[in-house]
Amino acid sequence: MVRHVLELILVPFLALIIGLFLLGLARKVIARIHWRYGPPLLQPVIDIIRLFSQKSVSHGKIFDLGVLISLIGSFLVILFLPFGVFTPLAGSGGLLVILYVMLFAPIGIALSGGEGANPNISIGISRKLILSLSYEIPFLFILLSVMTYYHTISIVGAVNSQQTGGWALFSWPLVLPGVAYFMILPAMLGLRPFDMATAPQEISSGPQTEYGGKYLALVTIEHGLAIFIGIGLFVNLFLGGGNLWGSSVNSFLNTGWGVLISPVIFFLKMLIVFLLGLFIHAVFPRFRMEQAIKYLWRWPTLIAFVGLVIVLIVK
Amino acid sequence: MKTSLTEMLKKNFGDLQISFLEETRMVINVPKEQILDVLAFIKDNGYDFFALVSCVDWINEEELELVYIVSSYLIKNKLDIIVKTRIPRANPIFRTITPVFPNAEPYEREIHELFGVKFEGHPRLIPLFLERNYKIPPFRKDFDSRKYVKDVFDAVPSIEEEK
Amino acid sequence: MDRNQLRKWFEDPVKMGHKYSLGAVYFCTGCGIIEVPPVITARWDAERFGVVPVATPRQANLFLITGYVSVKTLRAIIRTYEQMPDPKYLVGFGSCPINGGMYWDSYNTIKHLDKYVPVDGWIAGCMPRPEAIFIAVTHLWTLIDKDMADGYKRYKKYYKQYRRNQEMVLPNIEWPPLYPID
Repeated sequence: MVRHVLELILVPFLALIIGLFLLGLARKVIARIHWRYGPPLLQPVIDIIRLFSQKSVSHGKIFDLGVLISLIGSFLVILFLPFGVFTPLAGSGGLLVILYVMLFAPIGIALSGGEGANPNISIGISRKLILSLSYEIPFLFILLSVMTYYHTISIVGAVNSQQTGGWALFSWPLVLPGVAYFMILPAMLGLRPFDMATAPQEISSGPQTEYGGKYLALVTIEHGLAIFIGIGLFVNLFLGGGNLWGSSVNSFLNTGWGVLISPVIFFLKMLIVFLLGLFIHAVFPRFRMEQAIKYLWRWPTLIAFVGLVIVLIVK
Repeated sequence: MKTSLTEMLKKNFGDLQISFLEETRMVINVPKEQILDVLAFIKDNGYDFFALVSCVDWINEEELELVYIVSSYLIKNKLDIIVKTRIPRANPIFRTITPVFPNAEPYEREIHELFGVKFEGHPRLIPLFLERNYKIPPFRKDFDSRKYVKDVFDAVPSIEEEK
Repeated sequence: MDRNQLRKWFEDPVKMGHKYSLGAVYFCTGCGIIEVPPVITARWDAERFGVVPVATPRQANLFLITGYVSVKTLRAIIRTYEQMPDPKYLVGFGSCPINGGMYWDSYNTIKHLDKYVPVDGWIAGCMPRPEAIFIAVTHLWTLIDKDMADGYKRYKKYYKQYRRNQEMVLPNIEWPPLYPID
């Protein structure tokens, strides 16, 4: 009981810290790829301190409410993701809940963007929602193949099955959905070449145009949490989040040491996936909307569909 | 080509002053009533690229001179044709050439606000660059710039702060 | 820079936050904007100082007036400056905002920018080199430390005089006064 309450408080807090650290790491790594020094690693924290102390301008009550809704949606999804051996709210329907609560974030921002009377906001929101539409289709195929292979809807069940059977990415029926998920991961996180929703040079930062002061701080926090969610789901479903390879090694996870070590393993896997995505983000230009839809509905969908067919044949 | 154009112009419009600055630059001095006909004639002969219209202030002769530069992209051995007219300086009212070359509209707006020439028939004669009103248009030669700065911009007082 | 001194962060985090996270509005005023892209990109990196260009004035902290200010540009500058959230810093760049610079007897430029918007610091040069921009940023940090970079407070306190000066130069101002004048 005490452990559950502790997990409920600790996991969002840890997710916040990891999200902000990943944001700072992103700026540093991109700077080093560009052959320059970058800002210090804690620069997002400094930005958030500065933003909270600026006197922001509000456009009405729904303007405030929309940002809060998107932040609450992100926190809610984090409670359903197992983080190592910490599983705050992981019930038996985890994947389905995540599938629809993940859309709270853009819809919350769309709600508040309607109050801010700026056409850039509407353009940015329409781009974000069209992008969501285009990556939801391969995402659905991927989730269906994972659910069919492991005969479960809960993420904890998927993670536990990978404890004995090896990581899903390297077990042969689920290679193709894993590859397809890695192909749509930049679209879910808003990394280049799919960052047309928040494009500072084209539409003056899209949905964040009218956000100053504390609203921008909350949106930055929400961006960090979205990165955590996107990569965390991938690591849990396909890389056996928190588990090492092999069933004999994993027996120590059920002991007391598992509480300390499995989040660290989870974080290391997240780091590697994020760095791979960053290397693509640092050197690619931006797609146009029709190029993005054409890409997302062609190759990842095809690969995920073939993977789903293979899984159905095998099971 | 250039001789044939000269001959055609002389045939159609009587006695215009046509001279050649270089091999490919033709200068035509036109009285101000014939400007639209000359420009339409030149355009019909293939010179349909309108480069610019500019203005010169001849203060000693009390005239303003409008200079039109017309050329072409498609004709081989093309000429650059410079057409000049003069209008009186005291009350400069002229007609617009947007019926013949529609892209003369911003140039005529600029001449209107900087030289004070009023173009009749212009669809949109509002200021292009300037924000204030000037009693003497700024590009005329009797506009004293330093006096204007002293009167307008130096007259704005600094902010006085309480100690 | 004292960015690594933990004690100062715990004493006054707000001031340290204002110093080391300056978001500059990417407003290309005049000819000086040619010096800003080299500062932002890889050769002279401004991001290691915390200075990063942002897209809108609502997210910004710092306003660089680079180059000469014509009367039409002054209208846009005033609107942008009034949209930025407090506290904000404005730096005049080059010799044209200081006293008119090369255009000191022009019929359409503003000679002394200090009469229309409050300026915290000036950078001399025509155009200043990127190293001069970094020296200016470090000077701005020392000013923020001593609480002397108070342009936004001066704007609120003497708004009546600023508005009167703006109305003398701009013929018709279509936005209402930012602070109430009696």
